[in-house]
Amino acid sequence: MTETTTTPPADRAPAPAARGLVPLPPATALPLLLAGGIATAASTFLAWTWTAEFPGDLTVSGYPGGLQWLTFTAGLLTALFALSAYRVRGLRWLTPAGNHAPLLLVAVGGFGTTWYTVLAITIKLGGLANLEPGGFIAAVASLVPLVGALALPAEHRGEDLATALGKRIAKPDRIPAAEATTPWVQRAAITAVAVVGLIVFTYGIDTEYGELFIGYLIVVVFTIWALHTAGLLDRFSQLLAGNRSFALAMGFLAAIAFPFTQTDDHYANIGVNILIFGTVALGLNIVVGLAGLLDLGYVAFLGVGAYTAALVSGSEFSKFSGVQFPFWAAALSGAAASLIFGVLIGAPTLRLRGDYLAIVTLGFGEIFRIAVNNMDGDSGPDITNGPNGIPSIPDLSFLGFNFGEAHDVGGFTLGRFANYYLLMVLIMALVVLVYTRAADSRIGRSWIAIREDETAATAMGINGFRVKLVAFALGASLAGLAGTVSAHVTYSVVPNPYQFAGSTPPNSAFLLAAVVLGGMGTVAGPLLGAALLYLLPEKLVFLQDKSLLAFGVALILLMRFRPEGIIANRRRQLEFHETGQLDVPDTTTLTDEPAVTKAGT
Amino acid sequence: MNTLPQQLANGLLLGSMYGLIAIGYTMVYGIVQLINFAHGEIFMTGAFGALTVYLYILPDGTNMLVAVPLMLIGGAIVAVLIAVGAERFAYRPLRGAPRLAPLITAIGLSLALQEVVRNFYPGADRARAFPGLDATHDIGSVTIKDADIFLILAAIVCMSGLAWFVRKSRTGRAMQATAQDPDTAQLMGIDTNRIIVVAFAIGGFFAAVAAVAYGLKYGNVDYRMGFLMGLKAFTAAVLGGIGNIYGAMLGGIVLGIAETLASAYIDEIPGMQQLGGQSWANVWAFCLLILVLLFRPQGLLGERVADRA
Amino acid sequence: MTTPVLEARDVTMRFGGLTAVRSVDFTVNSGEIVGLIGPNGAGKTTFFNCLTGLYVPTEGTVSYQGTVLPPKPHLVTKAGIARTFQNIRLFANMTVLENVLVGRHTRTKEGLWSALLRGPGFKKAERDSEERAMELLEFIGLAHKRDHLARNLPYGEQRKLEIARALASEPGLLLLDEPTAGMNPQETRTTEELVFAIRDRGVAVLVIEHDMRFIFNLCDRVAVLVQGEKLVEGTSDVVQADERVVAAYLGEPFEGDPSTTKGEVQ
Repeated sequence: MTETTTTPPADRAPAPAARGLVPLPPATALPLLLAGGIATAASTFLAWTWTAEFPGDLTVSGYPGGLQWLTFTAGLLTALFALSAYRVRGLRWLTPAGNHAPLLLVAVGGFGTTWYTVLAITIKLGGLANLEPGGFIAAVASLVPLVGALALPAEHRGEDLATALGKRIAKPDRIPAAEATTPWVQRAAITAVAVVGLIVFTYGIDTEYGELFIGYLIVVVFTIWALHTAGLLDRFSQLLAGNRSFALAMGFLAAIAFPFTQTDDHYANIGVNILIFGTVALGLNIVVGLAGLLDLGYVAFLGVGAYTAALVSGSEFSKFSGVQFPFWAAALSGAAASLIFGVLIGAPTLRLRGDYLAIVTLGFGEIFRIAVNNMDGDSGPDITNGPNGIPSIPDLSFLGFNFGEAHDVGGFTLGRFANYYLLMVLIMALVVLVYTRAADSRIGRSWIAIREDETAATAMGINGFRVKLVAFALGASLAGLAGTVSAHVTYSVVPNPYQFAGSTPPNSAFLLAAVVLGGMGTVAGPLLGAALLYLLPEKLVFLQDKSLLAFGVALILLMRFRPEGIIANRRRQLEFHETGQLDVPDTTTLTDEPAVTKAGT
Repeated sequence: MNTLPQQLANGLLLGSMYGLIAIGYTMVYGIVQLINFAHGEIFMTGAFGALTVYLYILPDGTNMLVAVPLMLIGGAIVAVLIAVGAERFAYRPLRGAPRLAPLITAIGLSLALQEVVRNFYPGADRARAFPGLDATHDIGSVTIKDADIFLILAAIVCMSGLAWFVRKSRTGRAMQATAQDPDTAQLMGIDTNRIIVVAFAIGGFFAAVAAVAYGLKYGNVDYRMGFLMGLKAFTAAVLGGIGNIYGAMLGGIVLGIAETLASAYIDEIPGMQQLGGQSWANVWAFCLLILVLLFRPQGLLGERVADRA
Repeated sequence: MTTPVLEARDVTMRFGGLTAVRSVDFTVNSGEIVGLIGPNGAGKTTFFNCLTGLYVPTEGTVSYQGTVLPPKPHLVTKAGIARTFQNIRLFANMTVLENVLVGRHTRTKEGLWSALLRGPGFKKAERDSEERAMELLEFIGLAHKRDHLARNLPYGEQRKLEIARALASEPGLLLLDEPTAGMNPQETRTTEELVFAIRDRGVAVLVIEHDMRFIFNLCDRVAVLVQGEKLVEGTSDVVQADERVVAAYLGEPFEGDPSTTKGEVQ
């Protein structure tokens, strides 16, 4: 560790880089961090405001409440990281690379959430007068670790302030390899992470008001960022790679455990919607991420599945109201109908350049909505009941298990949405299985080969058209399958959600954004992207109106600055960042040249 | 009113509007092989630019003969600036990136433009009234509006101007060279970046002309108008042979006529009684696109491009 | 010994009014290394594209082991002709091993269902494919880099990997399109040895090259294509002695060709 490196270089050049960004003796930095962290956590035991008008009741002295819990967590984390920087035995694993970036980031997280809370109280209640002394103490206390972190001596020589700051939050190039641990320790670690993940995720879904969610986001984002720069995420993914099946099982268990932590079925509803959204996004990821085909009408396949399921659900408003398929048959027919449409759309277009597919699927998505809207027997054939859609879709019943009723399982009550949630977990597990198995096989390799260089792939004997059609049709039928469940979850199907862009998920633009934001070509990426994109407008009501605008801008910025998304696929990351910037447009007309650089001799 | 000549005239008018927008797709594609999905939205912003001139700059009751050219200028400025800005700040940094990247950027841009107009243009979350040119004339059995005359004249003038520009002007010839072989063109001293900007600008200008014509003809504009029009214009560009400017106009006219005839007459075909009318016209236009891609993917005027292995 | 693997009969290729290849007869026998040379614009690439299924000849036929070639590149590969590219076209973001596994595509048939169900057949096929691929990687000396991304290999190794990928499709004939382009003399020598070793595995090789010395050292037989027609065909000595070849290479239109200087050394 470097907290004592104040020795100036031999040439006595002014060395601002060796100092912190705040002119304090470097030796004071870590104590400030530690003390500030503890003080921040402690301040949450005071009252911050005098009235319970601010949500979460921050008026109580003695224990934290509402947003104070977030400040408390952040303060505690800051203290822990500071202790780890002191090399306290048992906490060293928190900062394996021994760098300062995580310290700064957790400090910013604590500062951010505390000041956000204090400012929110001031603005919402109209003036600083509404703050109790505790509020001021918290504000000052959370500033201390930030000052401390900035006073840490720089590890790199930054030229100007921006680069200096950038280097302070950069991940080191080399993370020391983890010490060998026994399988039991590894599994315990994975289990612990799954439990913490479940708690954090559940807390996020259960946030009751926008302020709490924003505070939550601040803490979570900066903490994860800190863990990333500390190198812990890298270590954890190594751990996962070494214990694949155990990790998958734990993830699956954590997903199943979620409804058991919920007392209110409303949150299970959010959960089931996220799962539907995430599953469809993962299906889209096969098409976009693996095979490199841009499908802009993907939600229409979800719609085909949903309408098919609704038509054979036995709803009295269905054209075939006498018909009631058992769920497995409805699911299969939904998937099959989507498959047929997928082949119909894909067959003429997949022989051509990828751009054509994008525009044709965009058209198909729109046409689907128009057609469904008009097939009401008035302005078109009588099939889908037009804009009114097909309401009163009965709940599923499976081997005597009615999904519409609450059930008691081991002392927990599972409501209607919890039942569907568990069903969706199964379907998602199926899609994850399909994705991972397909990706790691002859057909998956040929998808990637086609994406990389279609001409070379053809010269290797791959029938490009056929494997692309398989990917496209597989994606379509997975969406159709998810659609069959979503029809039952929402009681009714109407044309409106199945459009290219709209303010609520699912729609094709949201799905694409989820895949791109999360990370193309990964399993976790689209799921994370879907959860984020669903929760943000759901929790932040004021955002709903502007969410599409934000997505549009986010897509542009993502492609510009981090095209690989939040979770980078190893391949993608290289692909996007190692190609040289060409100033000349691509010369080829039918296929892309591969970006192989001649390394010279 | 619904005679065949009238339907043909309607189709021709609609089609020239598609054709004007299609020019933007086809020029950009011809030079950088990029489908600028946001082009429909550039068309839309052109309409709102023109509307702004009418509502907020011109005094009330300005003679339309004065107002229309000024609206055209306003719409063109907005559309060209957005088109060029999109190229400069969104697409140019992505040249050489994997193919998917600019497409996704285009989607994002398209969403962002729509939402900016919806959120920040007064009253634009619903259709906004646009001054119409509704006086009608009868030519034989065909009735057309003043707006239609504007559209036809604008289309003819723009197309002849473009044809002259591409063939005769220095920049136009440089464009052709860049479309053929950008590397060689650059070696020959052509500033390809400038050529690309010009292509985007021309596309933006044509879209603005189409947008003003659209407003004058239909009497209202809204933030979503670019989506379907853009989609159809792209269909027109593919139909005519993408990369070919005359093809774009031809494709537009063919598509316009096909769509109009389909919505007017298809319900007379036994068994398809309920599939006529305006709401199904989009479906038929889309089916036409699929059929073209199936049987003549290079389009009416396009040439089959062989792969260079 | 001399059963023909590849037979081109009277192949003519016209593009509109332009005749790029004019009634060329050409044969590659099993166990042979044959070179195809010619100045720039002689129609080599067009002829090559006729062999790989990118073009269907306007007249004449190309047959492989007695059957006329199907007109699709992937079917040609399946029939038993594999190729490399003049400008390396690896799957840059796949690993070395995966690149070779993609080459095995036509020799395996596990589809989507078997990938999803992962039955014993699938596992066996994957294991076999991997064994074959590793064997090829050892053959070209890249086994130790199996998990590297193809794009991170040095240039010479990328060339080798492309050859291994082509060999993975178990071809009877390997087409090499300028395999030494951009190589230094030492790498060129290594490639020469590699081509001999490939022949020893029972694969006939057709090489298109600019580097005449490489071709004359390597090939049992060399054909010279000039202005779409076959000028000479014979052993290296015969071709080198033929003054028409020298004339074709030194004639005005192709003076700028850098490989000419190497070609007329002797």
